[in-house]
Amino acid sequence: MAEPLLDVRDLRTEFHTDDGVVKAVDGVSFTVAPGQVLGIVGESGSGKSVTCLTVMGLNDPKFAKSSGEVLFRGEDLLKASSSRLRDIRGNEIAMIFQDPMTSLNPVHKIGRQLAEAVKLHKDVSTKQAYARALELLKAVGIPRAERRIDDYPHQFSGGMRQRVMIAMALVNDPDLIVADEPTTALDVTTQAQILALIKRLQEDFGSAVIMITHDLGVVAETADDVIVMYAARIAERGPVRAIFNEPRHPYTWGLMGSLPRLDVNVERLYQIPGQPPSLLNPPVGCRFHPRCAFAMPVCREREPVLAVAAHDPTHEQACHLDEETKAREAATLVASLTAGAGA
Amino acid sequence: MSNDLLVVEDLKKHFPITRGIIFQKEIATVKAVDGISFTLREGETLGIVGESGCGKSTLVRCLLKLLEPTSGRIVYDGRDISGLSRREMRPLRRNMMMVFQDPYASLNARKRVGFIIGEALELHGIGTPAERKRRVQELLEVVGLNPEHFNRFPHEFSGGQRQRIGVARALAVNPKLIFCDEPVSALDVSVQAQILNLLKDLQKEFGLTYVFIAHDLNVVRHISDRVMVMYLGKAVELADRDDIYVSPKHPYTGALLSAVPLPNPETGRARKKLVLEGDVPNPINPPAACNFHPRCPRFHEGHCDVETPPLDTIAPDHLVACHYPLERWPMDLSERPAAGPQPVETTG
Repeated sequence: MAEPLLDVRDLRTEFHTDDGVVKAVDGVSFTVAPGQVLGIVGESGSGKSVTCLTVMGLNDPKFAKSSGEVLFRGEDLLKASSSRLRDIRGNEIAMIFQDPMTSLNPVHKIGRQLAEAVKLHKDVSTKQAYARALELLKAVGIPRAERRIDDYPHQFSGGMRQRVMIAMALVNDPDLIVADEPTTALDVTTQAQILALIKRLQEDFGSAVIMITHDLGVVAETADDVIVMYAARIAERGPVRAIFNEPRHPYTWGLMGSLPRLDVNVERLYQIPGQPPSLLNPPVGCRFHPRCAFAMPVCREREPVLAVAAHDPTHEQACHLDEETKAREAATLVASLTAGAGA
Repeated sequence: MSNDLLVVEDLKKHFPITRGIIFQKEIATVKAVDGISFTLREGETLGIVGESGCGKSTLVRCLLKLLEPTSGRIVYDGRDISGLSRREMRPLRRNMMMVFQDPYASLNARKRVGFIIGEALELHGIGTPAERKRRVQELLEVVGLNPEHFNRFPHEFSGGQRQRIGVARALAVNPKLIFCDEPVSALDVSVQAQILNLLKDLQKEFGLTYVFIAHDLNVVRHISDRVMVMYLGKAVELADRDDIYVSPKHPYTGALLSAVPLPNPETGRARKKLVLEGDVPNPINPPAACNFHPRCPRFHEGHCDVETPPLDTIAPDHLVACHYPLERWPMDLSERPAAGPQPVETTG
């Protein structure tokens, strides 16, 4: 196997708040290979965004404490100095944020903001920086880019602002793009445009992408590998087809069953009872057990470790259930979801 | 027909854009809702889908008379309510309630849950204080909350629980009709499923009629009996749920459906997608005739940009506003209809 671009090992991030210590990421490990698209799904508060902010070194050190290793090409970013981090961010790792409305500076023109990003990392003249900015705006499909480069962010629609954010991320041909819910604030048709754009750029530039989202549909259509997070931990991880065709964790089943479908009529949605736990005081044992229909006594006592599934060495899951039950439940679920679909 | 709860005829809401401080001059209008007609049958759920800015929220606010419509008729249960004043509307309000999108902003943070839910009862002078308290506790139980929690404040509840409070408030005065404006879009998937199931259960139990607005096509398919698709203030397609999702006729509906990512890696990636170019046009200056024509893959010059397509019946209970509706689904949307009424180009 090729050398991973990013190797995250046993990452833990805790925030010290007035109410106590919140373990927002609690022992998360994963790798990203060059050119790979990794999808991270989970509900709000599952730790998916914090994982990526920690990887980028963007947590406020006053409140956040991180441990573990974040190896980017063998270099531990958790130990890197802030000037070294600044050098890497925007150069080799770039980030696309969720909200294109608030991520751009409203008082500066688009061109100036893009050129600034170019000049921060490259020793070029202002003129050259603007030329590069224009080139990028064209690459992300802004119509009449020569004219629009002198517009302010408020003159752009949401989808176009997200394109500008992507252009900014691409300034230095990064090897890794971290996209935190890049399409959540957008309409479906715009979302389709942006996802197609990210895919095209990822192919053209050969960048690896970490795609954080709560939308299983987005993951199914874009990712190579998928991580399902629940309450600061990884519940399940595997290739996208394995996760969707043979899910092995009750939480993943719940997520898939509770999703209203475009392709199938479901009379009543499966519902996961209760709500995600507070990370101030997570449940003992398996963190999903209070909401799990399959909970056994052992689930209340011992936390399951992320282990390779018996049927597939690329597929890992953290659940005490026996393989037979899991295979049976997964097959029933997938069959019920694909019935009537495919037309 | 006696079971038509709400009949809407050619409803319009235009917002003027003015310039000048003393002598205000109208320079343009935003046609937020521009000639919508539909009938809502008792006990059904009508889903309204469309992208942001298509006028779906404005439409609902007009129907509730929270906004005064510019023109058109709204007939509720056989009575024309479009000309009624606020005072005349008040007794009717207990029949139509609303559930809002944001469960954080739509509950008064300084009031206790019991007051929030019971306020409508008080305003309509229903029951004694003791009866009202009993009713509030009953409602909390109906929506799946602990009846003992009526003395708590909204911040003590999670997002999903707050949305349940919003639903309980809407139910308090036994309405017939509930308008739901994106009630689940702020919630996580697992909580969203709980609220959708709750809404369906309540509908069965109390015989409610819903108008359900959402931008999420999956959610609309799940909850609706009939679906209306809106684009720039107009209805482009209105049909039974299965007709819309299985055989859409309007190219915009087709584009919307093909844009939704499917949670299935095989069919999701294999199907042909139509990615619409550009953005929704500015509603101040919408395109002439069919206002979808600049983005439409089946656009015919000299026809679509000249003549406005009326919302016509194409099949029983299936209305479409398009000169060149889709012949089948799924289909390659760029495929031109072989022989249109006015074939302008020769197809090669």
